[in-house]
Amino acid sequence: MALRLIGIGAFLLGVFVLVPVFIAVTGRWDFYYTLTSVALLSVGAAGVWLTFYIGRINIGQGAYALVGGYVSAILVMKAGFSFWVTLPLAGVACALISVVIGLPILRLRGVYFAMVTLVLTEVARLTALALPVTNGAKGITSIPLPGELSILGLTIIPDFAGLANPKLAFYLMGAALMALTYLVLWRIVNSRLGHLCRSLQQNEELAASIGVNTAMLRVLAYSISSFFGGIAGAMFVAISQSIYPSSFVVTDSVNFMLYCFLGGLGYVFGPMLGTLLLYFGWDLLSVAKQYQLLIYSGSMIALMLVLPNGLLSLFDKKESRQ
Amino acid sequence: MTAPILQIKGVTKRFGGLTANSEISFDVAPREILSVIGPNGAGKSTLFKQIAGFINPTSGEVLFKGSRISGLPPHKVARLGVVRTFQETTIFRSMTVRENVVVAHHLRSKASLLGFFFGSGQARTDEAEFARSADDIIDFLGLQSIRNEMASNLPQGHLRALGMAIGLATHPEVILLDEPFAGMNHDETMRMVALVRRLRDERGLTVLLVEHDMPAVMKISDRIVCINFGEKIAEGTPSEIQANPRVIEAYLGSEDAAIGM
Amino acid sequence: MEQILANGLYLGAQYALIALGLTLIFSLMNVLNFAHGQMYVFGGFVTYTVVAQFGLPFIVGLVASAAVLAVLGGLIEKFLFRPVIRRSKREESTMLLAAGIAFFLDAVILLLFGEKQRGVPKIVNGVFNWDMRIIMPYDRILIGILAITLIVSFILFMQYSRTGRAMRALAQDRMAAQLMGVDVDRYSMIGFALGAMLAGLVGGLLVTITGINLGMGGPTSVKAFLMIMIGGAGVISGAIAGGFILGMMESVGLTLLAAYGDITYLVIFATLMVFLAIRPQGLMGKPWG
Repeated sequence: MALRLIGIGAFLLGVFVLVPVFIAVTGRWDFYYTLTSVALLSVGAAGVWLTFYIGRINIGQGAYALVGGYVSAILVMKAGFSFWVTLPLAGVACALISVVIGLPILRLRGVYFAMVTLVLTEVARLTALALPVTNGAKGITSIPLPGELSILGLTIIPDFAGLANPKLAFYLMGAALMALTYLVLWRIVNSRLGHLCRSLQQNEELAASIGVNTAMLRVLAYSISSFFGGIAGAMFVAISQSIYPSSFVVTDSVNFMLYCFLGGLGYVFGPMLGTLLLYFGWDLLSVAKQYQLLIYSGSMIALMLVLPNGLLSLFDKKESRQ
Repeated sequence: MTAPILQIKGVTKRFGGLTANSEISFDVAPREILSVIGPNGAGKSTLFKQIAGFINPTSGEVLFKGSRISGLPPHKVARLGVVRTFQETTIFRSMTVRENVVVAHHLRSKASLLGFFFGSGQARTDEAEFARSADDIIDFLGLQSIRNEMASNLPQGHLRALGMAIGLATHPEVILLDEPFAGMNHDETMRMVALVRRLRDERGLTVLLVEHDMPAVMKISDRIVCINFGEKIAEGTPSEIQANPRVIEAYLGSEDAAIGM
Repeated sequence: MEQILANGLYLGAQYALIALGLTLIFSLMNVLNFAHGQMYVFGGFVTYTVVAQFGLPFIVGLVASAAVLAVLGGLIEKFLFRPVIRRSKREESTMLLAAGIAFFLDAVILLLFGEKQRGVPKIVNGVFNWDMRIIMPYDRILIGILAITLIVSFILFMQYSRTGRAMRALAQDRMAAQLMGVDVDRYSMIGFALGAMLAGLVGGLLVTITGINLGMGGPTSVKAFLMIMIGGAGVISGAIAGGFILGMMESVGLTLLAAYGDITYLVIFATLMVFLAIRPQGLMGKPWG
């Protein structure tokens, strides 16, 4: 317990103090954008991981990120909502949509579910292209930066437009969102809900026979996953101040899945580590110019050959396989 | 006879053109041990699945304490108090024995999932109660020594006991055992027979079992229902069944010819 | 109407060929080959290089595409998938590998052939015109016929050759095939090579008509997934059915829905969702793959 508290403390210290100090000292301000992206992508990846936890491979998180982004952008631009109100609404909208979509498709298993979710990303993109409210291929641009958030006159988050350093503000915001997401995920996994998800992952028939409402639990897990995807998307849109149908595409969905796999599916913090390594690695490799993708994918393949069960499997307890 | 706890009424199941169960009816009394026997492919498993809610009968119904359970999904049937065990491989592989049994206490929880998420007082009471009850069941089945073993590492005999522990964790009134003696040698079978009796005597359960092992069935059952080609051909006490010409014929006509005495 | 059918048949033949390769790999190894679209693009570029750069006849280009992709596929199976499948705890690990390979092939294509859209000159000129009812350039007809010939040869190969029969046994039941003495490793490799070869061949065929570019890989994979979902994963007849159905739907959609903007694929996807809700295993698939 004490060890765990130290771990959490070190993590928070690193994310909220050491990283900003490091960046201020080295002057690599561009790292803020990269690290903010890592934080937000790992929020989305957390959702994918939770879907895996009930035994489903989700390659459709890009769809929910896109939907979340559009919900926030439209509410801000057309209805004049504050960004901070649209952030949870984007998540809720995604969760609701995922219930409707999840009810039929969560009956599919294995590769079938994976393929359908992959296709879902493409559906989201095409829908954004076809609908009038999303403004087609031109997308929605010039979205204002998030305004002030205050409760009873007390300013909790200042107006981003008035900040001297919005990059730092976005980083802190993204990191806070990430910390909150993983806190929630960690609680889910270590509470009864997580145990039931594991029972579902390992044997759906048996889970049903001990009284678990498997259909409901699957939809619940999937909607939480989509909620994470939605808020990640909304945050991204706030940073880039624009959204297009191609803001999140199939490649992004595949990437979300890769982040989870790479970190290791058996560990709550696996997706965070996977996102950091893959995204940050990709960013650092930009010095390799045209060889960037080659080195990136090459090392990914090499890693698979060495550690086919994910990075964190290095710390695996022994379990015989059959 | 007291009011039956479980009633099978005219249950018929067709798959396409194939009739797996035809008009099967029988009653099960509380605290009775009743075996369903029959040659391979007679339709025993199909009948079991229908009682536990895994498939719905084409016609007919299953009543539990007078109210209909056929047509309900398995988790609702389990909630009412009728639970099935599977053959040995059906366990949660990547959990320890104790985790398996604890998670199977799902039905006993009074706190909501949200309550568990936030660790409410009720949730903590529940968890403590599950842990206590799980240990109780583990002791009852004599699994103390493997409490913390990973389920995927267990040998067959223990897997079956674990399957039973998972079933017991739902605190059922009726337990359906799917071939509990399959693949066991004489000593193991005798231990399992004693255990099934204890389920009834010490935990007050009604036991319904599907089984091939005739000597064990004869020894353990209060009554036996025999099925052949999807139809019930006999029902009665072990001695009545042994003397029934239709049963003998059914078994002589099939591969497992001898009804062991 | 005739025009729509003809277009649908032409498209469907290409699609079915792509889906066949994907489904073959899936049925043999339970691997969802994310890199299938990239293999298709690679095949297109090989034909382009042989025909447009070296000035050799089209048929040489096609053979080169088939050969290069078959070798590539065989190597990928032997040195990448086989060791990972053997050592990984979850079958999903192969998805990560497949996605990695897709990115890798993208990188290789980028380095070797660049980003530009490439094409080769028409192989036959002229347009077939039947009373203004069906209008189709001769080269499309030729490619369509070639594709259908390839599909038929593939079916015959799977049905009657020793290798084909061994692969079908393997697809049906890996364990049983092993017990029957089928060399599982060898036929997995041959199957993967064959699947990659089919993708390469389609690339080679289509480079003469639509041309080829780096960005076509991902969308092609998505379409191929669609087809095997419609037909049922891992089933040869399903892949062919899925290919032709998608080709037909696309052809019909482009004509009928043109008035409403570019929504053909949206309608196809929506239909698929409903279809899968009713029949999760596709038209001809086994339940739960």
